[in-house]
Order: sequence, then structure tokens, then C-alpha cells
Amino acid sequence: MTAASAPQVLAAGEQQPAKPTSVHHKRQALYGYAFISPAVVLFVAFIAGPMVFAIGLSFVAWDLLTPSQFVGLDNFARLVNDPLFGKAFGTTFVFAFASVVTHIVGGLLLALAANRVMTRALSYFLRTAVFFPFLISWAAVALLWKYILDPTFGLVAYYLSKIGITAPSWFSDPSWSLPAIVGIDFWHTIGFTFVILLAGLQTVPSTLVEAARTDGANTWQVFWHVTLPMMSPTVFFATVITFIGAFQIFEPMQIITGGGPDNSTMSIVMYLYQNGFQSFQVGYASAIAIVVFAVIMGVTILQFCFSRRWVHEQ
Amino acid sequence: MKFVYMGDAEQQAQFKQLFAEFNKKHPNIKLEPQGIPSNNWATFANTVSTRIAGGQVPDIIQIATEGQRIFASKNLLEPLESYLEKDQDLVDDYFNDIDPNLVKWNTEYASHDGKTYYIPGGFNTVCLYVSKEIFDRAGVEIPADGAWTWDQFRAAGEQIKAKTGAFLIPAGSGYFTDVMPWLTTNGASTLNEGWTQAAFASPEAIEAATFVKGLIDDGLAPKPGGQFDAPTQMSKGKLATLAGGRWPVIDLRRLKLVDKTVVVPWPTNKGNGSPIGWDAWPITKVSKNKAAAWTFITFLMSKDAATYFARIGGTIVPARRSVADSPDFLDNAPEHSERLSDAASYATPIPAPDRGSETQKVIEEAWLKVLSGNGDPTQTLQEANAKLGTLL
Repeated sequence: MTAASAPQVLAAGEQQPAKPTSVHHKRQALYGYAFISPAVVLFVAFIAGPMVFAIGLSFVAWDLLTPSQFVGLDNFARLVNDPLFGKAFGTTFVFAFASVVTHIVGGLLLALAANRVMTRALSYFLRTAVFFPFLISWAAVALLWKYILDPTFGLVAYYLSKIGITAPSWFSDPSWSLPAIVGIDFWHTIGFTFVILLAGLQTVPSTLVEAARTDGANTWQVFWHVTLPMMSPTVFFATVITFIGAFQIFEPMQIITGGGPDNSTMSIVMYLYQNGFQSFQVGYASAIAIVVFAVIMGVTILQFCFSRRWVHEQ
Repeated sequence: MKFVYMGDAEQQAQFKQLFAEFNKKHPNIKLEPQGIPSNNWATFANTVSTRIAGGQVPDIIQIATEGQRIFASKNLLEPLESYLEKDQDLVDDYFNDIDPNLVKWNTEYASHDGKTYYIPGGFNTVCLYVSKEIFDRAGVEIPADGAWTWDQFRAAGEQIKAKTGAFLIPAGSGYFTDVMPWLTTNGASTLNEGWTQAAFASPEAIEAATFVKGLIDDGLAPKPGGQFDAPTQMSKGKLATLAGGRWPVIDLRRLKLVDKTVVVPWPTNKGNGSPIGWDAWPITKVSKNKAAAWTFITFLMSKDAATYFARIGGTIVPARRSVADSPDFLDNAPEHSERLSDAASYATPIPAPDRGSETQKVIEEAWLKVLSGNGDPTQTLQEANAKLGTLL
């Protein structure tokens, strides 16, 4: 028997320590509740409450200005036959897929490059430069790029003309509008993915890398068989976060293209906004919101399921 | 007494001076103005609707043409007949000084049942701000009487392009500034006169879209789809004209272009044309300060308020003709700025049915599709017309 578990024998005159009373327990519990109450209040007021309210709204027809009417599942039935809803969903999936691929590949390449920079000053500069656009608001970024990509007066058109290329009408040509938005989104948010992946890269034990090199592995083999597997939890996290963010994309479409041309950049959240706050079909917009929530949750669960096959947990 | 109006930070600063004037005259009325920044009236109307849904109902709302009928039809506004009778002399003085069209349209378009829910305020029409410098350099004469045709305008553009390299005019897809001027000067519009049927695929509308597309194809107008600052491009000598109501005057002053530009009516093909949109002031039905609200509206109707607002640089044309023709409006503004006011006599109220935001989107999308060469004008406008039909 170890000393730690030996029965304690009270010396003469020594008193048993007072047991925690129920009053003490209650007081402790109250402190606990008091500490978490701000977070609970905020969660209920801004997340859980509106969510429950949105579920309720999805069963009514309401134009904001006149009383609402209960319509049962009509709003959900309408979704099935709404071609624009289907198109917006498809566009959002394409955007989210492109966003995940470009962010993970681009972020990884940038992180590898930044990790190899030997000069500390240059390394800091590179990290700051890549992360900086992420600090700018979407509204400013959208307007900035609308000016830069103007097909006549824009900087890109100017430099392309110098090498004999006529710039396309990025935002009025349906075949260019979505790629242009993907590119702008990449420029704006790659810094966040880059920082996450760089942090993940720096957690890879150098002993493993050195051991692989000692065994004769070349750079690619070290990356593919050591670095990437060790980073896979970080890559998985970045993939999930990027997908969720991309699926809720709204600002660049709203500010730059308004969802056009020909609804080619109509994201699902933008379609939700247009129905709710431009067409005043609040019930229908709420039904869309519920479906968006379900899809994001479903895809995230799928990602977690598939992650068991490729994410290396230490 | 809460007054909700549209205005960005700069416009709010101008309005504040006006409110200070009101407070001097009526110190016992506590005015709570709330400016809402917005880039168009449809968005402003949506924001106000959302606030009302959230229980924030103001006493007075500044509402433009785009939202007037829908707000009245939702039973949100107080009929003003009894107020008009009470201050008949003041109202007569105001209505006799504004364009009779505004009085007519106030019940024709801004009411669903023939009652008066609004007092019409300032307005905007669309004319062209023409660069005298660029026209001079190209050796093109600006029509002294302001009358020119599409063909003459186009010919001027060709000469300007050849001599100076400047573009003739921006060719965007903004409903009010870019689409409607071309339609109305060709005897067309987007909807019929009663806003009950779509008219966007008329031969005149298709002809107008085709004409503008031709300007782009021939390099007389920049390609659409991006964004550039038209007054800045004009100051650089790269743009000969720009479209607008009163609002470009702010930029023209900033760029010191006031003396180098002249206001000219839109070139015509069938006849004079311009869209018109006007502010209006209603009192909400649930207001508990109706008397104070009416006092504020009478202040806005007064010549003093209109003069004061014109003087501090408002971005609308004063409804009172006596003010629009006065130095308070015409000084420090491009030559012939009174033509913006004249345009009210031949303008077409911007068609704004109940589902205004959606109709506007359909119209602008279709126009952009034609201008960017992604759709045949006839087919595109016919498809848009069919969509508009479902929204009316």
C-alpha cells in the first residue's frame, strides 16, 4: 500500500476536517453559473435564440410589414421546385470546393516556403505580407478589386494590354465571374489558412525528418511520408474551417456582382438574403437557412468520418 | 419625434445643419434624426422595413419613389388630407411652386387608393454633364439649346475618340442613370404607364439597348462590368460626358470641374426623356407625435428650408422652382444646371412596383448581358420581360 492511500489516523485532540456542506456546494455552483452566464446569455441571445426563431419562421409566410401566416411545410416544398435555389446551391458547392483546394494547396506551399526562409526578418515580412489582406474588411477588398479588374481602366487590363492581351470583362462575363471571385477570395483569406498550416508545420518533430533523411529519403519523400502525415490533423482542421467559411460566402458577390451575371455568382447565402430582405419573403429565406445549416453540418460530419482514413492522430 | 432619412456620413452632416435650423425655430420639438447610409433607395426601403419589423417605427420616413406605393399599401401611413386642409394656404404656396407633375404623380404613383399619404420633396432627373474642354479639343460643338439626337451624339463621340482618345460616355447598367435615360429618349420604358405590365421588350427598348451596345463595340464607351470613378476620368481627359442628377456636382466641385462642364439634356431619338425619382415625407400611422411630425414636414416644405439645403450642397434638385432657379442652387454648379429642374416637365417616374428590388435586378442584369455581348438584345430583353411579368 502506498503512502498516498494509507488511512489517516487522527492524533489525540486533532479534529476531523470539516466536510463540504451543501451550502458550500451551492455557493460553488453559483460561482460557476455566474462565470459562464455572460457566455450563455450571449449564446442564447445571438445564436440559439435566433436559430429557434428561424426554425419557427420557416413555417410561416411573412413580409416583415404585415402579420405572418402559418403555411406548414410550403416553404420547404417550394425549395424543391425552385431552379434558382438549385443553381445557387451548385454555385456555392463549386465555390467551396475551389476555395478549399486553392487554400489548402496554396497555404501549404506558402507555409513550406516561409518555413524554409533562413533570415528571420524576411520570414516575419513574408508572414505579415501574406496575412495582411485578411485584416481588411470584405467591403474594402471587394471595391478595391472591382477597380483593379475594371476591363477598361483597371490595373490588370492595363498590364495585360502591355503584353498584347485583351482583358476579359471579369464581372460581366458569366464564364469569368466565378473564377474572379474565387481568386479575390484566395487573395483575401489565404493568410488565415497559411498561418494555421505554418503552425502545424512547425509542430512536425525535426527528429523524424532527420531520421528519414538519414535513411536516404529525398525532399519529396520526406514531405509525403513524414511532414504531411504529421500535419494531417492541421490540414483537416483547415479543410473543415475553409469549407464552412466558403459555404457561407456572401460579401464579394453582394458587393461586386450582385449575384450576376446571369446568376453565375449567386451564392446560397446571397439568395437567402435576397429572399429575406429584398423580396421580403422571410419564411422562405428561413427555410433556406435551415437547409444551409443542415448541409454544412452534414458535410462536416462526412469530413470527420472520412478523416479516419487519412488523418494521422498521434 | 423620429425622422429616418437616407444619407451617408457627408450627407448626414449636411442634414444636421438643416435640423439645427429647425430646432432654432421649434425648440420645444425634440427631433431625433436617424440617417441610414445606403447606395440606392431600394436598399434604404428594405432597411427601414426591417427596422419597422423590429418594432422601430419612426414618426416620419423619407421615402423615394421606389418605396412610396408599397409603404402606403401596407397600411403603415397616415392619410394627410386633414393636415392639408388645416394648413391650406401653406400647402397651396408649396404646390404652386413645384412642378405640377409632382403633385399629379403624388397620388397617381405614391398611393394605392387615391388618398394623399406623402408630401413630395426634392427630386432627381438625369442629364449629361459634358466636358467643355474635351469637346473643345475635339472641335465638337456642344448644342447651345441642349437639343441633340442620338446620331449627333454618336458622331460627336467618334470625333472625340479620333482627336482626343477620350470615351464619349460610361455605359453601365444602373437602372436610373444608365438604362432609363436611353429608354425614355426613345419613347420606351421598362413597364407600362400604370406599372401593371412589362414593356421592356418593346422595339424601342431593344433599339436603345442595341444602340448603347454599338457605342461599346466601337470603343466610344468603356466596357461594362468593373468600376471606375467617372468624374476622375473626366478630369484626366479620358471621359467626355457623364450621366447624373444633381449628385455629381459634389465630385465636380472637389475636382474643380464646375466651370469646365455644362449640363445638357440626354440626346434624343424619339423625344426628350429622363427618369425622375423624388423624395416624399409621410407620417406613420402609429406615430404618437403626429402634430410635431406635421410641423417638421411644413418646415421641410418652406422656402427657407429648401434654400438652406440647396445652399449647403444638397444632392437633389429642390422641388420649389423658385429655389431651383435661384443662385442658391445655380451658383457653384455647372452651367445650365436649371436643365435638371426643367427635365421634370418631360420625365417619366421611375417604374417601381411593389416588388421593386426584384424588378430592378432583372432589368439591370438583362441590360448588362446585352452590353457585355453575352446575349442577343431581342432575346435577352424578351426573357427579362417575361420575368418582369411574373413580378407584377
